[in-house]
Amino acid sequence: MKRTMKVFAGLLLIALPATAEETTGLTEDTIKIGVMAPFSGNAASYSKAEIGMMAYYEKINEEGGVNGRMLIAVQEDTACDPAKGLAAVKKLISQDEVFMLHGNSCSGVALAIRPVVEDAGLPWVIAHAASDSISNPLAPNIFHGLPTGSANGRAMAEFVLTRPDTKRVAIIEHSNDWAHSYSDPARAYLKEQGIEPVADQTMERGQTDATAQILKLREAQPDFIIAALYEAETAIFLRDLKKYGMSDIPVMGTAGTDLENTLKRVGDLETVQNYFVIHSYIDSLEGAGLKPWGEMITKYYPDEQLSTFSFASLGSAVAVVEALQNAGPDLTRSKFIAELEKINSLETGILSHPITFTADDHQGVKGSAVAGFVDGRPTVLRAWGERY
Amino acid sequence: MMPTQSQLRLRTVLFWMVPLALLAVPLLVNSYVQFIVNSVLIYALVTLGFNFVIGNLGQLAFANTAFFGIGAYASAIATTSLGLPWLATIPLAGVAGAIGGFLASGAALRGIRFYYLAIITLAFGELMRWLYVHAKSVTGGTDGLSLPRETVMGYSLTDDRVKFYVFLVVTVLLFKATLNLLRSHVGRSIMAVRENEVATASLGIPTSRVIVTGFIWSGFVVGCAGSLFALHTSYVFPESFGMLHLIISFAMVLVGGLGSVLGAVLGAAALTVLPEYLRSFPGMEELFFGLIVIAVLLVLPQGLASLLRRVSPIFVERFYRE
Repeated sequence: MKRTMKVFAGLLLIALPATAEETTGLTEDTIKIGVMAPFSGNAASYSKAEIGMMAYYEKINEEGGVNGRMLIAVQEDTACDPAKGLAAVKKLISQDEVFMLHGNSCSGVALAIRPVVEDAGLPWVIAHAASDSISNPLAPNIFHGLPTGSANGRAMAEFVLTRPDTKRVAIIEHSNDWAHSYSDPARAYLKEQGIEPVADQTMERGQTDATAQILKLREAQPDFIIAALYEAETAIFLRDLKKYGMSDIPVMGTAGTDLENTLKRVGDLETVQNYFVIHSYIDSLEGAGLKPWGEMITKYYPDEQLSTFSFASLGSAVAVVEALQNAGPDLTRSKFIAELEKINSLETGILSHPITFTADDHQGVKGSAVAGFVDGRPTVLRAWGERY
Repeated sequence: MMPTQSQLRLRTVLFWMVPLALLAVPLLVNSYVQFIVNSVLIYALVTLGFNFVIGNLGQLAFANTAFFGIGAYASAIATTSLGLPWLATIPLAGVAGAIGGFLASGAALRGIRFYYLAIITLAFGELMRWLYVHAKSVTGGTDGLSLPRETVMGYSLTDDRVKFYVFLVVTVLLFKATLNLLRSHVGRSIMAVRENEVATASLGIPTSRVIVTGFIWSGFVVGCAGSLFALHTSYVFPESFGMLHLIISFAMVLVGGLGSVLGAVLGAAALTVLPEYLRSFPGMEELFFGLIVIAVLLVLPQGLASLLRRVSPIFVERFYRE
């Protein structure tokens, strides 16, 4: 009898910490969620990307929460710096004791914190950082709730080739991993279609003139240009393209540039009329499809100046709430992860493509729409000349 | 007031007792606090090395971040490409940093001083960052390098508590070595150069060699700190070694006390822990951080170390210049 009791006590001791970890961050009526974003530093503007999910949590709470539990967001600053990001995630895990993590904007930070999150075992749904390496190779508890760099890069090249008679494609990009995360999959898709880029140009960050690159591109005579450039450099590139009489060549940009912002930067529609960007949403910023989401954000955050970044985390937030709902009132981390893996073709009402997670693939969004100016108005496109 | 013989003995005892007492830290704190404590140890070394050049040698040189990056990359490359165990890469990173120090001292050897030396060494740092980005086959480019997971005698080096013990040993050894160096003939020559380079040369001391030695030691210490940083974050990428890091290191030197070894610890501790407290004010951290640094420097222009000197002569450093 004594021996049985000892074995039982031993098993209990082993089981107790596991049970505690499974329900860490949960109370009868709350779910504590750790939200990471760069609230300070050079990349602080990316913190806008988390505003959508915060507003969505507020909305869900106003409607009674998830299975009676309110969603409590605990925000931590990563400053887009790996060391600071590591401190943030360790604080969320061991001091704030959150149930799960949601967010993070900078891929460098996400890559640095991945081993910590993987070891801790709590679920992490990535809301903005796009590098494929964050969720591939597969980690059982890490999910990508937005199109990754490879999905976006491929979508860029797919769109380019939907334009009739496009054979000569040129690429201009920054020399950083962010740019490569778009250009490498785009190149791979072009290669699959038997197309080699006719020109490969590099434009460094902070460059204020693109003449040298444009003269090279002019020699190559491309039908379409893929530009993996940040917004400021994109504006300079488009301005110089017009200066050399090449603004009739369409340019395909990344999700890192906003169509309306680019128009504001260059100042005239003619310069951007052939500029297209990856746009992960069902509608343009001013369109009817995004209007209710925009109203929801400004209801809870009245000072928010809406841009496409403001909506970036909404798709993943819808998936998180769906999985929490399906996990039921006896919520555990394992149940939540299992429910995330059951999400199949979830139409979020905000993302242009559905979310599907499986046990073998945690990169949930496999494509993106494209936005461009049609008749002078920002328009979301499925393919060249085909409205979404 | 200079410390008496008994106070000097007490200081020696304290030097060894404090690290011994710190051995208990991992038993008392959670993973987050442990991470911050580990950061303090790393930045204490960074500040010590930086202070050695600008505080002890008196050269306005800003290659510190370059040495830090060189050390971190040396460790990361040695573990990922050469397959060396991380522990073995610490001295390697120190030597790489020392070579960086030797190269950075080239400008000083040509008689370049003050603002000109500052600009040249800043450019050296940016040149190194360019190299990290463009030597992609070795450095991983902008993707950076992830360190492999390792164990030492069965203990995982991903565990912050295990890291702490390694970091503590390295930090104590390098602080002791720096104190010994400052007490040696070389150390006194270094401070003589700071006080008056021409007068030092007139005494037959080869000032050029002294300056090179100062840079090399600074590079070695900061290079070792870079190696610790590589393990600390398990991930090395170019953005970690930019201008912001340099400014914070410089602030650590000034807040701690220019030329003070004790100040290196105090400055690093203050400016590592403070931003963590300011986490509670998202979006306001930088403002508060800046105001607090300004306030400290206005009230204590000789840094936090001067505060301790007022408390007890034990904390008076023999070669510190008021």
